[in-house]
This record gives sequence, C-alpha cells and structure tokens, in this order.
Amino acid sequence: MHAIEMKHIIKSFGKGIGKVSALNDINFHADYGQLIAIVGPSGSGKSTFLAIAGGLLTPSSGEMMIENQTYHNSSAKDREQVRLNKIGFILQSYNLIPYLTVEEQFRLVDKVKRTPNLNPEHVQQIEKQLGIDDLRKKYPDELSGGQRQRVAVARALYADPKVILADEPTASLDSDRAFEVMRLFKELAHTTNKAIIVVTHDRRLAQFTDQIYEITDGRIQQLESA
Amino acid sequence: MYLAIKEMKHAKLRYSLIMFMIVLISYLIFVLTGLAYGLSESNRQAIDSWQADAIVLNSDADSHLSQSVITKNQLAKLKSDDRLAQLGELGVTARDPKGHKKVSSELLGISKNQFIYQQLTTISGRKFNSQHEAVVDKSMYDSGYRLGDEIYLSSDSPAYKIVGFTKDAKLSVAPVIYTSLSDWRDIKFGATSDGQVSAVLLKKNQLNQKADDLDQLTTEEFINKLPGYRAQNLTFGFMIAFLMLITLIIIAIFLYILTMQKLPYFAVLKAQGISTKYLVKNTVGQSILVTVSGVLVGGGITVLTAIGLPPAVPITFNYPLLAGAACLLVVMSVIGALIPARTIVKVDPVSMIGGN
Ligand SMILES: Nc1ncnc2c1ncn2[C@@H]1O[C@H](COP(=O)(O)OP(=O)(O)OP(=O)(O)O)[C@@H](O)[C@H]1O
Ligand SMILES: [Mg+2]
Repeated sequence: MHAIEMKHIIKSFGKGIGKVSALNDINFHADYGQLIAIVGPSGSGKSTFLAIAGGLLTPSSGEMMIENQTYHNSSAKDREQVRLNKIGFILQSYNLIPYLTVEEQFRLVDKVKRTPNLNPEHVQQIEKQLGIDDLRKKYPDELSGGQRQRVAVARALYADPKVILADEPTASLDSDRAFEVMRLFKELAHTTNKAIIVVTHDRRLAQFTDQIYEITDGRIQQLESA
Repeated sequence: MYLAIKEMKHAKLRYSLIMFMIVLISYLIFVLTGLAYGLSESNRQAIDSWQADAIVLNSDADSHLSQSVITKNQLAKLKSDDRLAQLGELGVTARDPKGHKKVSSELLGISKNQFIYQQLTTISGRKFNSQHEAVVDKSMYDSGYRLGDEIYLSSDSPAYKIVGFTKDAKLSVAPVIYTSLSDWRDIKFGATSDGQVSAVLLKKNQLNQKADDLDQLTTEEFINKLPGYRAQNLTFGFMIAFLMLITLIIIAIFLYILTMQKLPYFAVLKAQGISTKYLVKNTVGQSILVTVSGVLVGGGITVLTAIGLPPAVPITFNYPLLAGAACLLVVMSVIGALIPARTIVKVDPVSMIGGN
C-alpha cells in the first residue's frame, strides 16, 4: 500500500483558447518512511501538484488515493476531513497563529480534531528532536524564522498524519537553517515512518532526500536518487 | 470558540475598545428608550387608566380635546348609558395661596356617576365628593403639594382642597387634577356655563349613532393625535434605529479589519483541514461576546442611572422593553459579523500554496 498515489492525473485551468494545462498525465506514488523532493522551474506545475495531493484542488481527470482510499472525487467536506486527519500541511509562511503560544497551536488541533493526536510523551520527544522543547510558552513573534518553521513541523506532526506535504518550507531560511530542516525531515520520515513530500526549487536540498522528482511543463519524471 | 477567546485575551486592548463603544452605544440606546417610553407614558397615562374604547369629540375640534366643546343639546342626542363617561378638559396653571409652586396641569372634570370616577383609585386620601375638592396626580406631591393643601386653579376661582393623590394620571406630559364636572364648568365657562363637556368616553363602542357634528375616534387614534405625540415617538424611533444600525456598522468594520489581517492564517488553517464553519463560528462568537458584555455593562450603568435620577425627569425604564432593545443589539452584532464572515468563506487555501 502506498501512502499516496496519483494515476493519470490531468489538471487544466480555463477553457477554449485560454486553456492552461498545468499537469499532464501525472503518475506518482510515495511510500511510508520516504522523504521525496519535487523540483522544477517556475510555472511548471509544482504548486498545482501539491494542491491536488492535499485535496485543495480536484483534478480534471485521473485518480488520487491516500492509503488506498480514493478521494479526488469526494466532497469538499470529506477532503477537509482527510486533510485534518491524514495530511500535515507545512506552507511557506502563516503556519502559526500569531495569538497562540507554541503549546496552544497544538491545543487548537485537539479542539478541532476528533481522532486522537500524539500523546504527551511523544510530543516531548518530538519537541526535543526539533529543539523547541523550551519554547512552549512563546508566541510566534518571539521566535526566529527557523524556530517558527520547526514549530510548524511539530504542529503538522502533532495530528499524527500519514503524509506530510511541505511547500517551499525552507524558502524563508538561510541555507544552514534550510539544511537543518531538511535533515530533520529525513530523520522524521525514517523514525516516524511517514511519507514526506517537499516542493522546492532549491536543488541543493535534494541531497537530503530519498527520491527526487522533477516537474517540467506539467510532466513528472524521477531523477537519479541522491 | 477556543480561537476566539485566545485572540480576545491576547489582544485585550482592541477588544476592550470595541466593547467600550458598545457600552456607550447601548447606554445611549437604553436611555433614549427610557426617555421615549417615559414621555410616551406621560402623554397617555391618564387616558390608558380610563380603559375606554372610544372618545367622542366635536367635529370642529379636529380630534383635539382642548378645542372640543360638546353642548347640552349634542349630549342629549347620545344614549345615556353606564358605559359612557363625560369629560371636561382645561389646561391650567395650578398654584398655592402664596403663588409659589406653580405647576402646569390638566384640569379634568368628571362625573361621580360615570366610569372614570368609579374607576379612579387614590394612593392616599380619598376621592372628591363635594364642591371645590380635587384629586391630583402624585407628581404634585413631588412639586410640594400635600393632602389638605389649598390649590388655586385660575386667578378668579376659589381655593380647591387636595383630598387625594392618584397615580398614573398624566396627560400631555402634565399632571392631572380631577374635579367634578360642575367645578370644571365654573372655571372654564364661568357665567356662560350651561351643561357643556369637552368629550365623552365610551366603552365597547357604545356610540354608533353618527351625529353630523360629532366625531368618534378609537382611543388609539385619539392618542396618536395628541399634540406632538407621534412626532416624538417617530423621532425617538429613528434615533434608536440609527444607533442600532451604527452598532451593526461598527461591529462589521471592526471585525472586517481584523479578519482581513488574519485572512492568510485562516487560509492556512483551511488547508490544514479546519472547517470554514469553525472559523466563522469563532468570528460570530467574538462579536456576540463583545456585544453581550458591552450591553451588560451598559445595562448596569442604566440601572444605576435609573436609581440616581430625580423623579421629575420623564424617563421610565421598562425592563422588558430594554431587554428587547438589548436582544436587538445582539442580533445586529451577529449580522455585523456575517459581513466579514463572507471573506472567510471565500478565501481559497490554494492561494497560500506557492507563497505568492
Ligand atoms: N488558478 C489558475 N488559473 C489558471 N492558470 C493557473 C492557475 N493556477 C496555476 N495556473 C497555471 O498552471 C501552471 C502551473 O502553475 P503552478 O503554480 O503549479 O507552477 P509552479 O511550478 O508552482 O511555479 P512556481 O515555482 O513559480 O511557484 C502555470 O502555467 C500557471 O500559470
Ligand atoms: Mg508554486
């Protein structure tokens, strides 16, 4: 069973003469315990890929599965549930609510999610691993950019999803910090047995991943593993 | 509501300011409502206390009691019935023998055999039963008059004696002085007195004998034609309605600005699977919390005002009415919150992917 799987995904925007074909027959899968990078030039379709993987967009055709459960054609509400329970999203910015402390960011997940989240011991362990265990009472504006992204990672992990989708998670970080976050992702993918997919245009980050895919003009292709 | 409460605790100043606005507006609304109700009451109280269904006036009086005279001949055309009460009216300036304590009053003459007199109750003293006796509204007590005091009702009439106080006896914002019809005629017509009255009140629409020179109005029609009554109510109604609208707009603008600032966070939360419903509920919840606490404080200040107010101010706090106004304010706050809620519904989490 793949953690996430795409079969013949096509996505186009608009109609007629203005029609843009963003994704063209994408076949892709990610397995548990893998860190996968998606790279590609601007406008190639990376964001569209991630939006479809996360159920934010519906494909024009093709099949999309998460843990063997198809969900490309499920209702917006069901896709919301999938995102809440099975996917952790880490975006470039705005991941943390400014008026919640680090530990309250986790509490919010408790408030909205019915299924259980990580137990306190597990949370402590991850906080240690991420080096944020002494930041619990701090608000996001009291943290550095790197600390903030690490808290965002912890928050995504907190809901215990199968899949983590990260969109340019290192864009606002300097290279040292960026490498550090990638190293963390790799470690987490392996230790927590999750499929982590990172979209980035920074090819230097590829060295940390298990697999690299490149999207060009809406087509996906696996590159040599690092 | 977790998000809502955490945010309000974090941004105390912002939310206290908006709550303070609501306190002021709700206090203003409450005072205006009290004033509107109090003035309306002191216009119509006496009429309400008679529990009549209709009133007959001279057609030439254009529905105004003070201009109406019904002659003995006209009276003779009306059926005599126990559900009929004659009334004499005259605006007078009451004064004590020393000429201090001047009070603009409504002198009303009523007949002992008819229902106005029969329904009249005194809160102290007794009803009048002989010449030159008067029962007066209790606000005359606040003006310094006591039981047994002498009171002059016109420059050439003899002194009257206050034999009783009654409550709920105000007409056109003046205290009522009840005397017998014949006393009233002496003061109003003097030598030309000849069995006239100003009006006849009816219970259960006794009169349907359509005399050409008499008009019959229902009590409600008559009250609406009291001088200034409708204009006053409309003015207050407009002021209160505008304040309600202002509340709605303030809440809408305030929450809209805050929501716009939070929109990218909301978009990310939506990407993370948090439902739009949850986010909207939190925004509406904040609006309700701010308004309810503002209205409660405003209500508290209103109660204190009511306690501290001198009796001469025509404000009557009718609590069910104020509770109605408070509920309406909360409804306004919910509608106000639904305007920014639309932007929450519309924001697309896809817009947050790709970072631009
Ligand atoms: N909502 C949309 N409507 C129309 N065209 C769109 C829409 N979203 C994306 N596209 C088009 O689809 C193509 C792929 O866009 P996408 O955002 O996925 O690229 P990207 O690889 O993420 O680029 P970048 O690295 O610049 O973020 C582009 O040609 C883009 O113009
Ligand atoms: Mg993009």
